[in-house]
Amino acid sequence: MLSNLTEISVDMILNQVHRKKDEGYRFVSMTTVENEDLTIDLYYHFDRDYEISNLKLTVNKEFELPSISKIYLAAVFVENEIQELFGVKFDGKAINYGGHFILSDDDLENPMCRNQIVIEQLEDK
Amino acid sequence: MGKTIIPFGPQHPVLPEPLQLKLVMRDEIVVEAIPAIGYVHRGLEKLAEQKDFMKNIYLVERVCGICSNMHALTYCMAIEEIMSIEIPDRARFLRVIWAELHRIHSHLLWLGLLADSFGFESLFMQIWRSREKIMDIMEATAGHRIFISTNTIGGTHKDLSPEQQTEVLKTVQLVYDDMKAVEKVIYNDYTVAHRLTDVGILPTEIAYALGTVGPMARASGIVFDHRTQGYAAYGDLEFEPVVETAGDSHARTKVRLREVYQSIELIREAIGKLPEGDIFTPFKGNPNGEALVRLEQPRGEVLYYVRANGTKLLDRVRLRTPTFANLPSLLHMLPGSSLADVPVLILTIDPCISCTER
Amino acid sequence: MFDMIGNILKNLVSKPATRAYPFKTREMNENVRGYISGIDPEACIYCGICDKKCPSDAIKVDKPNRTWTIENYRCIVCGECVIVCPKQCIYMEKTHLTSSTQKDIIVCKGSPKPPKEAANA
Repeated sequence: MLSNLTEISVDMILNQVHRKKDEGYRFVSMTTVENEDLTIDLYYHFDRDYEISNLKLTVNKEFELPSISKIYLAAVFVENEIQELFGVKFDGKAINYGGHFILSDDDLENPMCRNQIVIEQLEDK
Repeated sequence: MGKTIIPFGPQHPVLPEPLQLKLVMRDEIVVEAIPAIGYVHRGLEKLAEQKDFMKNIYLVERVCGICSNMHALTYCMAIEEIMSIEIPDRARFLRVIWAELHRIHSHLLWLGLLADSFGFESLFMQIWRSREKIMDIMEATAGHRIFISTNTIGGTHKDLSPEQQTEVLKTVQLVYDDMKAVEKVIYNDYTVAHRLTDVGILPTEIAYALGTVGPMARASGIVFDHRTQGYAAYGDLEFEPVVETAGDSHARTKVRLREVYQSIELIREAIGKLPEGDIFTPFKGNPNGEALVRLEQPRGEVLYYVRANGTKLLDRVRLRTPTFANLPSLLHMLPGSSLADVPVLILTIDPCISCTER
Repeated sequence: MFDMIGNILKNLVSKPATRAYPFKTREMNENVRGYISGIDPEACIYCGICDKKCPSDAIKVDKPNRTWTIENYRCIVCGECVIVCPKQCIYMEKTHLTSSTQKDIIVCKGSPKPPKEAANA
């Protein structure tokens, strides 16, 4: 298990992140994992004086989460990447790459999720 | 005056990495700059979920060519923490020796590229000539110049015999003598000081708020070096983090040069204290659980999150590399600088785009 | 700047620093991992451990037909197969593979297994 883990819900995100900023924490990163029942676990990692502290959130894929880039500008790149790779939406980002941060135009959408690909047999002659 | 937009593109004679910046200019001063990446995305995190957890060591090592040994080391440490494996003492010291050799080679590569970016070609050649000595000693002890593949889960594969230890010490002494000659140029030369001093100043509070790590943060006065936490054998060695307070490009160069000397001292101390014993602990079974490990790579702090579910295939391997954390500082440093300083500023964050994009 | 003059004079009178390649090649160290050139077909027991451990799936072992195949251009020269082989019969050369116009595959075939002795009555 991770150390210093707090489980939160969606409406507590901005409050908790503001509190971390006031206590002097530095933003480290965010991690996303897809569970077996197709919900997504989202972790926020913060650090102060070599001690890490984590916040955990569990959402469905179609949820819209508030962006924390107004509080920590460094989060803007990670949020763009998670939006492209997993499909979790963040609104209110400081810089919006619009789906072109890491993937190119002819890649599959949301490649890190468990996608189902259906192959159709065309009637070619 | 109108504004022009210059794409400082992925292919450029001076840029060593495929990064694109769209620079909005007014005359010769940059007004705004937004970085864009995505040219070398290989999808390695997805591939790591489809291979055996033992084969992943070789996959993770090939994320980047410059910090390759430390990626394998962090992955092994994460799996060892999930499975609660204790590694023998000799293996801990051997891991430190190869990690510090890798740090020297990465910093020498960076110093050479910095000299090349403002046109000082002969210093670039001189520094890379001493870097060849480090590559030769890695080939002599581990078999390959870059992907040394010495770490495995439970210890190391390869050992250092007493003749090889004397070879390492001789090589490190030659590099020390070369660096003493280069140091005079970097500290005292007029052109070098003119191009680097007061260029790209990053104050301490902004560096902390933007989350910078590694030598960039240490050059702005933040004392943060993960090796003081004592993973591998660093708890038994004595050293102090290298810190400068000026916050400009010259301070970042001085930090990395002094770290080369610090690594040489650490290698000498580790070889002197190398204990006898095995280099490997055998283990059985599959990992089950999750772990988060942080380590000090040459560019800064790397973070690995690994989740396993009891089978041979892992659920998730997530890596956040230090260049990803240093990218936001470009958003602060570039506006207000002149066009000729843009390559120097991009190089001082030590970009490694293949690490950032995996 | 005056140590540069010493450097210049030394470079003018000394031998060339480069080697006359391809007439003279460098001597490689004992530990160098170059490429896998094959196995000893009589010593191999065709257990298939190297097949399971290869990270890039370059080795294929066929036990009934006693064949061992490696695709050299898929191999990443990590050295796992040499370490885990129980009979230590895989050979690793010290030179590196040169470029070629087609991807070669090395196939080694051993002699068929001797029949089991009949149980004594």
